Amino acid sequence: MAVGTSRLSLRRRRDIVRAGAGGPRYPAWLALPAFVWYALFFIGPLSIMAVFSVAERVGFTGILYTFSLDNFVYLWDPLYGRVFLRTLGLAFFGTVATLIVGFPLAYYLARYARRKTLLLMLIVVPFWTSFLIRTYSWLIILDRDFPVFRALRSIGVLPEDLQILYTSKAVYIGIVYNYLPLMVLPLYAALERMDWSLVEAAQDLGDNALQAFRRVTLPLVLPGVLAGSLLVFIPLMGEFLTPVILGGDLTVYAGNLIGQQFLTARDWPFGAAIAMVVIAAMTVLVLAYARLAGKQAEYGR
Amino acid sequence: MSETPIWERRYDRKGFVALSAMTAFLAACGGSTTADEDTDTGGTTTGAAQAPQASGTLHYYNWADYVNPETYPKFTADTGVKIKKDFYASNEDLQAKLQGGARGYDLIVPTGYMVQILGDANLLEPIDWSKLPNVEENLDSKFRKLPFDPQDEWSVAKDWGTTGFVYRTDLVKERPTTWKEFFELAKGKYSKKVTVLDGIPEVVGSTLVMLGHSYNSEDEGELQEARDALIELKPHILAITSTEYKQMLIDGKAVMALGWNGDGAAVVAKKPAEYVVPEEGGEFWVDSYAIPAGAKNPDAAHAWINYVYDPEINSLETAYTYYGSPLKRDVLEGVMDPAILSNTDVFPAEDTLAKLEPNKVTPEGTKLRDRIWTEFKSA
Repeated sequence: MAVGTSRLSLRRRRDIVRAGAGGPRYPAWLALPAFVWYALFFIGPLSIMAVFSVAERVGFTGILYTFSLDNFVYLWDPLYGRVFLRTLGLAFFGTVATLIVGFPLAYYLARYARRKTLLLMLIVVPFWTSFLIRTYSWLIILDRDFPVFRALRSIGVLPEDLQILYTSKAVYIGIVYNYLPLMVLPLYAALERMDWSLVEAAQDLGDNALQAFRRVTLPLVLPGVLAGSLLVFIPLMGEFLTPVILGGDLTVYAGNLIGQQFLTARDWPFGAAIAMVVIAAMTVLVLAYARLAGKQAEYGR
Repeated sequence: MSETPIWERRYDRKGFVALSAMTAFLAACGGSTTADEDTDTGGTTTGAAQAPQASGTLHYYNWADYVNPETYPKFTADTGVKIKKDFYASNEDLQAKLQGGARGYDLIVPTGYMVQILGDANLLEPIDWSKLPNVEENLDSKFRKLPFDPQDEWSVAKDWGTTGFVYRTDLVKERPTTWKEFFELAKGKYSKKVTVLDGIPEVVGSTLVMLGHSYNSEDEGELQEARDALIELKPHILAITSTEYKQMLIDGKAVMALGWNGDGAAVVAKKPAEYVVPEEGGEFWVDSYAIPAGAKNPDAAHAWINYVYDPEINSLETAYTYYGSPLKRDVLEGVMDPAILSNTDVFPAEDTLAKLEPNKVTPEGTKLRDRIWTEFKSA
């Protein structure tokens, strides 16, 4: 193979990688367990949802299997449109906030930290506790009467009427906290592989630190940024517990709306229709994002 | 200043509803997750009610902490029926489990509207009233043929309570007694210090009552009025919660809350506060005994219902749960602790009761309310 020759076009290189050439060939049956698993527990439930979404509700619990788009028509309503936009906003800004907090941390860990294993452990350890308990503990920390806040208020650092709990501030704090490891770990993996001599070379050739970061580091770790952002963005589209617990349940996101249909309104077909729309919208968004970011990564090289 | 740290807080039977609704599916998928307990310790063998013949084991699926623990061994000693207990934390939890195909329970305690839903879904066995002589004798007629079970086919009342509001008497000097005052004070002086339940029927229904309509109205115009009133109220709400408001009131972070009488009593026990059944009226809810379809030992279920309808046993139950007993008042007179019998939080006065309606759901009404709720929360 011509892999050794220097100037292969990107496209050609990608084709080679796709064909698996140059590496060991694994038999396809290795994918069988995963395939069966996905067929049973992903495609299966998804199909059931699709069938529900075009069905009709009868009475409280009955479902009439038919093909009706009524649920989607009912969903085509500014009220639900606003719920979707709000969810999209939460997912987008939540991802950005997590990235802003997570990137410097991952950068420090990969480039400067001494006791990397210990620090990585410390990032993962909270995940050993239930999500619910971790979120509930923020109720105590964000309480107006938490000693730190009380002290800061008394010396005038924080305004007297500061209310964090049951506002969107609390929701974002909870989200960044809960999703941080999902962002930091892929970023760290990407930064860890960085050849820092490239950055030094760029600086030797006249780039300042910022330019070198933009032109060398960022393009090289972009796949990590992409992976981390997707890992945070996708579950955030379905997030509903953090707004309930820390946000005082004062707003509706798509996740709450779906839960409400299944648990209190008992309108499973309508709930399934909302879920299908969320899944479809997310698929389009994620594909577009992956394509865009993928292109960026290619040009960056 | 917080007095009770969060880890020491107890939620009562109703307070669990909202939180556990979220996990109802997990419960439905995960099979039995709560601990089973065998109770076969002997107790006294006196005071046997004329219980119909029953034997074997009673599988009792109930709210946690909703039966006086002394009643179990007494029942076993008097009837010879052993008891296996399992617990749920919300009606939706119970529904999900039964709909998911769980069998083997003989006795459950759904709230009224859930009796209707389960009956509608063919998930209940009919009640055989001929096996319930104590009930026939002692049940107050106002708990018969309730709107959610108009033929007394599926259920027998267990306990009842009301939905109204609680306020801190030391922090709210206006002494509100009506829903109108509750709404006006919430929108004015006590903005952002008021909570409402995370319950669609309770919040929408109470608003309808404030506007002079039925708690269960399905009139689109009336519901539209309720929607407008709720959207106006929304910016002044501190939180929408069924689990936290008790503590918020105790801490003084909230000063008024739309809530249940049981939680109200808990606040009154700790702080200067008052629970109000508003003058316009409101909801009274009834939790009922029912027998799930496919029960293996319906005789034991009937035996239990009959047993706790003995006035003496029932008085012990009320003394433990502090929820209203559905037995005739003259039957309880002289048997129940007079302090409880005269407690208007447990037994509201007749004229108060007359203005209350039980929650009655229909698929259409639920759909309309669900939309209003989404608008309320989106506002």
